[in-house]
Amino acid sequence: MNKFGIVLALSAGLIQAQDAREIVTEVQRRARAESQRYEGSLRVIDSGGRVTDKSWQYDRLGSHGNSKAILRFTSPPEVRGVKLLVLNHPDRASDQWMWTPALARERRIALQDRSTRFFGTDFSFEDLEERDVEHYDYRLLGQETLEGHLCWRLEARPRKGKSSQYTRSLLWVRQDIYVFVQVENFVDNQLARRLKYGDFERVAGIWTGRRLEMHDVRRNSRTILTFDKLDYNLPMQEETFTLQALRRGL
Amino acid sequence: MIELAGVSKHFDGKRKVVALDTVDLRVERGEMVAIVGPSGSGKSTLLNLIGGLDRPTAGEVRIDGVSLAGLNDDSISRVRRDKIGFIFQFFNLLPTLSCLENVGLPLHLRGWSSQRVNERSRELLNLVQLSHRLEHLPEELSGGERQRVAIARALSIYPPILLADEPTGNLDTRTGAEILALIHDLHARLGSTVLVVTHDMTVAASCTRTVSLLDGRVAEDRRQ
Amino acid sequence: MKLFRLLSWQYVRKHKLRSVLTLSGITLGVAIFVGMHTVNQSVLSAFQHTVDRVAGATELEISAGEPGFEEEVLERVQAEPCVSAAAPIIEAIVDTGSPGQGSLLVLAVDMTGDRSLREYDLESGESAIIDDPLVFLAQPDSIMVSRQFAQRNGLRIGSGLALETMEGPKRFTVRGIMRTGGLASAYGGSLAVMDIYAAQLVFGRGRRFDRIDVGADAGIGPEKCRERLEALLGPGFKVEPPSARGQYFASMSQAFAISISFASVFALLIGIFIIYNSFSIAVSHRRAEIGILRSMGATRGQIRNLFLAESAVAGVIGSAIGVGAGILLARGMITYTSTYLRDLYGTAQRAETVTTDPPLMLCGWFMGLLASLAGGWLPARSASRVDPVKALQKGKYQLLSAGENRARRLAAFALGCISAACLLLSSSPWAFYTGYVLAVLAALLLSPALALWLARALRPVLRWLRPVEGALAADSLIQAPRRTSATVAALMLSLALAVGFAGVARASYRSIHGWIDVALNPDLFVTASPRITARSFRFEPEVETRLRAVAGVREVQAVRTPRVLLGDTPVLLVAVDIGRLIRTSRREPLEGDGDTAYRLAAEGKGAIISDNLALLRGLKKGDTIELAAPLGVLRLPVLGSLVEYSDQQGSILIDRSLYTRYWGDTSVNTFRVYLEPGAAEAAVRQSILEGFAGERRVFVLTNREVRSYILDLTDQWFGLTYVQLAVAVLVAILGIVNTLTVSIIDRRRELGVLQAVGAVRRQIRNTIWLEAVSIGVVGLLLGLALGALNLYFSVEMVRQDIAGIRLTYAYPWLTAAVLIPVILGAAWLSALGPAESAVRGSLSEALEYE
Repeated sequence: MNKFGIVLALSAGLIQAQDAREIVTEVQRRARAESQRYEGSLRVIDSGGRVTDKSWQYDRLGSHGNSKAILRFTSPPEVRGVKLLVLNHPDRASDQWMWTPALARERRIALQDRSTRFFGTDFSFEDLEERDVEHYDYRLLGQETLEGHLCWRLEARPRKGKSSQYTRSLLWVRQDIYVFVQVENFVDNQLARRLKYGDFERVAGIWTGRRLEMHDVRRNSRTILTFDKLDYNLPMQEETFTLQALRRGL
Repeated sequence: MIELAGVSKHFDGKRKVVALDTVDLRVERGEMVAIVGPSGSGKSTLLNLIGGLDRPTAGEVRIDGVSLAGLNDDSISRVRRDKIGFIFQFFNLLPTLSCLENVGLPLHLRGWSSQRVNERSRELLNLVQLSHRLEHLPEELSGGERQRVAIARALSIYPPILLADEPTGNLDTRTGAEILALIHDLHARLGSTVLVVTHDMTVAASCTRTVSLLDGRVAEDRRQ
Repeated sequence: MKLFRLLSWQYVRKHKLRSVLTLSGITLGVAIFVGMHTVNQSVLSAFQHTVDRVAGATELEISAGEPGFEEEVLERVQAEPCVSAAAPIIEAIVDTGSPGQGSLLVLAVDMTGDRSLREYDLESGESAIIDDPLVFLAQPDSIMVSRQFAQRNGLRIGSGLALETMEGPKRFTVRGIMRTGGLASAYGGSLAVMDIYAAQLVFGRGRRFDRIDVGADAGIGPEKCRERLEALLGPGFKVEPPSARGQYFASMSQAFAISISFASVFALLIGIFIIYNSFSIAVSHRRAEIGILRSMGATRGQIRNLFLAESAVAGVIGSAIGVGAGILLARGMITYTSTYLRDLYGTAQRAETVTTDPPLMLCGWFMGLLASLAGGWLPARSASRVDPVKALQKGKYQLLSAGENRARRLAAFALGCISAACLLLSSSPWAFYTGYVLAVLAALLLSPALALWLARALRPVLRWLRPVEGALAADSLIQAPRRTSATVAALMLSLALAVGFAGVARASYRSIHGWIDVALNPDLFVTASPRITARSFRFEPEVETRLRAVAGVREVQAVRTPRVLLGDTPVLLVAVDIGRLIRTSRREPLEGDGDTAYRLAAEGKGAIISDNLALLRGLKKGDTIELAAPLGVLRLPVLGSLVEYSDQQGSILIDRSLYTRYWGDTSVNTFRVYLEPGAAEAAVRQSILEGFAGERRVFVLTNREVRSYILDLTDQWFGLTYVQLAVAVLVAILGIVNTLTVSIIDRRRELGVLQAVGAVRRQIRNTIWLEAVSIGVVGLLLGLALGALNLYFSVEMVRQDIAGIRLTYAYPWLTAAVLIPVILGAAWLSALGPAESAVRGSLSEALEYE
């Protein structure tokens, strides 16, 4: 263990003594950007080894908990042109609309069950939400080395009154760059989903894992999401993130 | 014992017919009485009244001291069932039933068990010498044989009273004589009271008493 | 029992044909009873089954009648905290176009949110569609079908399936196949699921939903949630558990249920008559046997019980066969009936299998037994009263005593008086039906006396025709009224029914024709479905402008005809521009001033209701009707009523502007198109079709086609009636055969004597023929007379209870005229067999009979 590591380890102990929550807050703080854009490709490999690919272009405006995002599907051809508008609210569930070009109309996605899988991936809608730190209680369980990096191991439990499909989650946060490396979600002490971050790269000063792999343990199916042409803080128009814009075909 | 006191029977139609006109008659137990008279003199009506098949317009019929006038239809039926056996000129056998079944019918009406009915019927058909015809249908029998089945049926309950309406009227002379002999034989053996309506003077002559009817009245009552 | 085995069984064995006929009387009655009710129940339960399957975990359904409601209602419902899941639904029935497959129920849902209420159990490997509805939603031609439907049509994933849509036939792509069972078994398995927003387009629904299915929050429960939603949405919306729809279906098809009950009761009555007839004949046949039994001391009770036991056994066996035959009958009728009811009421059900209901079967069996006992009761009683003396005297008939005759006449008179009193003094249905039954009973009681009287009157006529044979035939009737009275009564009743039915049918047709002539007088009807009762497709209002532009078109009237709830029963709302309507087809209201009524109605200040609605609901001019619409409660004064046959449960005519305002629905079911004078119907039709070709679904029906469609439905409605008529007449004829057979047996000696004194066979034959025809004449005269009375009751019944339709009383002279040769011919035909047997019988045997 090098010197740098020891310093980090010491500071980690310090933080634990203060508050585990601050680690998570720090992770979020460091990831904050005015906007984000990337081209995502999504690959689902189900338990039978069957592979489906999709790709989209992703634009996000605004920061955590109050952002607006548009997902434009670019392939396969059957879904090309389908757009997803997500308006996140800090105090309530997000509003989502889907635009289907063949019908030339948008529909509201009436999501009543956040555990529903997101369009056939191993992510549930809840997994893709921007989580508010305040909705969970955190506990620092210790530290361990993961993929060659020293990490804090934290436990998050939803606070009373905050619903989640999971009873608890384990979070691994890289101590050097304050990013999540792995998240394990449990339902009644059974591991349900494991999300791994990889291919970390610093873009516009923000460390981002460009490869996300979600493993649905119960279905034994995995989804790999990779970010290409990732960029932050590009200028974006508020008007783009409205239903009117969706209808105009922006 | 049969008693008729002032019995009259009228039939009301377009033309009023007096079938019986204040007839008084008393027949003691064990008597064998012939009732004779020309057509329409009221012989059959008399028999029907005694058998309770019909009710008199006036007067009273008593069987063993019980007046039929005071009884309702069901009670009269029961009297008939328990005390009276009918023998008809035209046999009146049920064509679809075998001899055995025909003879057993009155016993079934009394609710006897099948086995008992069977035993009694065989016994009676033996008595009338038809034990070889048990399962035959009436149409397979000669006239005399049919009348013997009818007699066996009338006797099935060993009735104290046997009413016979022209029992030999539909038979040839020889068979008629056989049937008459049979009736005498049974009368002697069972001691029933027997009333025979007949045209046949030989039949009448064989009885101990002859009652002659004329126009609904007893014209003559002669004991031999 | 012993007696039964000895005597009855022998009789049955000897008269096999007659016994079979006796049994078949009860069998027929029970079969029709069980069959018809089973069909009705099966259709109802198929409907309920479809509702249940489609409902899935739905606890409450939000609906606003057939017009549906705006999309925004969904967001309001979803925002209600007691709602754990809310999913919009559109249901449509479409023709598949593939021969023999009939229709397909298309359930349109929002796949992104619907799974919390419904399980889409897809074939393995296809689950991606459910989890990833992206492709399914992105392509509006996506459709999921049931395994059953896929197999029947040879469909696989990726196969094309052509369905009728607003844009004409459209090719859909099968993107999912649902496993058999569960949702996929709804509508007899002919189920398809598609995206609701695609369905709005395809079925011309605009931005509206038919229904929202709701799952209530477990902590709050459906009852509380229902109250909250009702408060939230107002009276224009119904919030009910899915099972409630079965009740609406039942109340809508009530007229059908009543006519089924009527047919069943009628069939059982026929059964009673057959039993009565057969047993009457058996009793006179077996009079000698009864006499012998009585002479041997059998009591009256024993005789009566013997015959009752026979009828009970006939009932038990006949009913059991009847129940089985009823199920078979139901199987044969089920598909037809289901389709017919769908056409008639536009409901989604597809019944292909029969649901057997043990209580119903038991009930049918028991009714058959009761009917048999009822039919056997009178003959058994008369058997117990057989005079043994007369029975034992060969060749004598037992005449109806004068006293008995007088008693009957008195009873008939009393019943007639009570019946008249019932009708005059009270208007309650009880009094009405009591009056009906009593009047028929009075006629039955009088029929022997009347028959005797008629036979006496006929004697000189017969004598004049054939001095010897005629007199003998008449005397046979006169001397043995007991023998003929049952037959005459049966003939009388069935003819009376025939006259009643024919009268109602004729009056209905006439009335419907009158209605069609005025109300349905447009030259062309432009609809979105090939049938005008189908409701799955609708036009948007803009079509009107385009129709007006077609050369040769003088006038176009948009009509919207949704079913809405008035109280708890669905009625038909007819929304049309009244100001324009009355210029082309104005009918005078039955009460009130037409000008005022139509002016107010056109201004949206009132409604004109159908006559049957007025009668069925007891509404009159000036009353207020209340229609709860999604956008408010509509209270309208009744301005008048019209003769109108659009719907059996009644219809309400309002101005279309009012409808649009309260229901927020501008869609159109039918355009009534009038042509310029001289414009060729075929040409205009062609240019309309061409104008919309390839763009939308348009059907142009000519006046003649609509007319014949409506008359077709009416024909089907009355079809059952005609079958009943035929059965009734057949049964009556059977009675004649029976009567003649007995008559010949009774008169064998007489006929033998006739032959002995030199009558030739032709004369014997003539006697019997004349006797049969005389029975026919007597029955005809009495039947046609009683028919006049029966028609009165039938017309009243239709008015009061079945459809609320005022029919004019008009005696069906034509039917009566047709019945005369039919019945006389049938009587003669039925005499052929008995006459031959009388002629062929050996002479010596006949004379020796005693």
